[in-house]
Amino acid sequence: MSDFAGMEDLLQDFLQESYDLLSDVDNKLVDLERAPDDRGLLNDIFRGFHTIKGGAGFLNAAELVTLCHLTENLFDRLRNGELELTPELMDVIMAATKGVREMFGELGQMVMPQAADAQVIAALQGALRGELPGAAPPAAPAAPPPPAAAAVEPPAAKASGAGGEPDWQALHASLTGQPSGGAAAEGQLAAKSELAAAPTAVAPAAAAAVVPAGEQGPSPFGRRATDRPGGQPTSARRAEERGGRESTIRVDTSRLDQVLNLSGEIGLTKNRLTSLRADILAGKNDAETLHALDQAVSQLDLLVSDLQNSVMKTRMQPIGRLFQKYPRIARDLARQFGKDVELVLAGEETEVDKTMIEDLADPLIHLIRNAVDHGVELPDERQAAGKPSKSLVRLEARQEGDHIVLIIADDGKGMSAERIRAKAVEKGLISEEEANTLDERQSLNLIFLPGFSTKTNISDVSGRGVGMDVVKTNIQKLNGSVEIRSEPGKGSVFLISLPLTLAILPVLLVRLGDQPFALPLSLVREILPIERGRVQEVGGKETLVVRGEVLPVISLARLLGWPFQRYPEYGVFMQTAERSFILAVDSFAGRDDAVIKSLEDFRPKGVAGVTTLSNGQIVLILDMKELLADIGHHPDMAAGLRALASA
Amino acid sequence: MAADPKMRFLVVDDFSTMRRIVRNLLKELGFTNVDEAEDGAIALQKLQAGGFEFVVTDWNMPNMDGLTLLQTIRATPALKALPVLMITAEAKKENIIAAAQAGASGYIVKPFTAGTLSEKLNKIFEKMGQA
Repeated sequence: MSDFAGMEDLLQDFLQESYDLLSDVDNKLVDLERAPDDRGLLNDIFRGFHTIKGGAGFLNAAELVTLCHLTENLFDRLRNGELELTPELMDVIMAATKGVREMFGELGQMVMPQAADAQVIAALQGALRGELPGAAPPAAPAAPPPPAAAAVEPPAAKASGAGGEPDWQALHASLTGQPSGGAAAEGQLAAKSELAAAPTAVAPAAAAAVVPAGEQGPSPFGRRATDRPGGQPTSARRAEERGGRESTIRVDTSRLDQVLNLSGEIGLTKNRLTSLRADILAGKNDAETLHALDQAVSQLDLLVSDLQNSVMKTRMQPIGRLFQKYPRIARDLARQFGKDVELVLAGEETEVDKTMIEDLADPLIHLIRNAVDHGVELPDERQAAGKPSKSLVRLEARQEGDHIVLIIADDGKGMSAERIRAKAVEKGLISEEEANTLDERQSLNLIFLPGFSTKTNISDVSGRGVGMDVVKTNIQKLNGSVEIRSEPGKGSVFLISLPLTLAILPVLLVRLGDQPFALPLSLVREILPIERGRVQEVGGKETLVVRGEVLPVISLARLLGWPFQRYPEYGVFMQTAERSFILAVDSFAGRDDAVIKSLEDFRPKGVAGVTTLSNGQIVLILDMKELLADIGHHPDMAAGLRALASA
Repeated sequence: MAADPKMRFLVVDDFSTMRRIVRNLLKELGFTNVDEAEDGAIALQKLQAGGFEFVVTDWNMPNMDGLTLLQTIRATPALKALPVLMITAEAKKENIIAAAQAGASGYIVKPFTAGTLSEKLNKIFEKMGQA
């Protein structure tokens, strides 16, 4: 049952706006740590909590109002110079912010938020009274509701009392000294409280929260049982957050107008075609009619591709909305590890498909964790190595051609290919012999193997079930790739390359006999003729030397298990994350922007999906990684492909 | 003075959810001619362009806050007589005094219902009628 029946729309609006606001507050808090006296920051953060409080009031979310109100008051004191921002106080504020975020998670589930952690509330109130947060005793099971709870004074309660509405004109007149009929009595100043109902729930709820976590009845999300102030959001929590956000999207009106405009024009062109059809069916097929038909079809062609682009653009969101969350996460992690890390963001305005943004959230968090946990060194280690004690982790996005590139770079100790190889052998992930054949790049890529972790003691941060292998799998699901560059002593760089959109895949159409196949263009480096004389056999495998690089030649026919009918004439130089090779094919049929239709129920291995060519022919889009993964091992797969292709 | 349902309102708040709430409440009361502004500075621009008969403004906003907006309105001859209802999350005495000193026509504390808003508006309409 929803606690917000009839208010769903309002709640969605509130959450969407408030999440942004809170992320902004989070980032400003990180900035504030470096500039604790910045009044502008203090003001902005104050206003952030104030605004959330105002909105929460209309949702009757009393606990959220209370938490925001206390935090807001704290910032009021801070900005007036009545309190000093100590690291301990900062921790309390961070815990409060986290509490607010948790409540958003609950709201996202249409559940009225529970009372904030009693310790956080008590610490906030202690801080407001000028007591050091650290001094607040932990809430004992038998303790009465902390005095704090009783002191949670609703904003309006202070002013409640006299029920009268001030006579505004009289009040104004008396205050400004202008003659007026009635004098404003002091009592009239107390505005009538309209809030009276909201705060009544505060005290009992706060009392309930003092019960130790273990004894508490199961809360819908196990919030109290799993989260401590200062701890990390659990993946369940993140899922909740996302659950609250996924269903709506904010689109610039000008983009929607463009879509509307284009669909209008398509409508007009359709009318033109309908009338031409009538003419042609009536036997009119003179040059003029055909010319008009040609024009109308060309126009439709143009309009439809414009429309596709425009619709795609409505799904594009600046990646900054995702990046916003990370400085806070990096800051919390750094504190936890005793490191001094600054997360530098760049390219926040880069636009990425919304689905992709959502699917990137977890891999990026993991890479940032990885950089803070494994990448950068402790301050004294850095000093010993002659580096500044503060380390920089850079998170950058940019568009390169039809790709989005994300970069997570740190200036830490870098990765040693040697150590990684040794570790992989020790863990039994690869054999000694295999290890010896790996070059630098391949060795670094070993960290993406399931079960790999260079730290003997898995910290509770990086060992959260999401490993580097999952990062890679998730990126690959988005048709992207991850590349690692590392220089010992200088740092590591993770480069993620992603297509602009998932809906349209640029493909290269190749032929095997008469049968066309589509290859993702993103993997194609170049196309070259295969001269038989230059093909050399190395270790029983055919290879071709391209600019000094020895590349294996793999026949597509063989990959698919097709009979080898004639010697392939062309080679496609392809590069996946794992390897580079030349795919031998018979001929080319050009390139195309394929609209991918996935094969939901019947998906033979090695087929990413199908697309339809302009002539109506169905073409299989090959998944090279899958095909290569089992070269020659799966005659069944080949048979399946053949059956499908000839169908 | 009977409230004219065509009366043109300007709702000023930096939080779009809040603007929507106020707009919806006004709609419940029959006022559908509502425009919005994100802060005091934008509000002032809109007001100077003319045509508005009532301002409902939040207090805490970036760029120009509600109090400054109110003071500017009262100091601008063309806008001086505009009724201004201040919305705020606090019912603090010093806030109320400041609002009154600046010449607010009314003061309403968040959260409020359509009923409360109606009450406040009617009080202001009454005063306007007497004036």
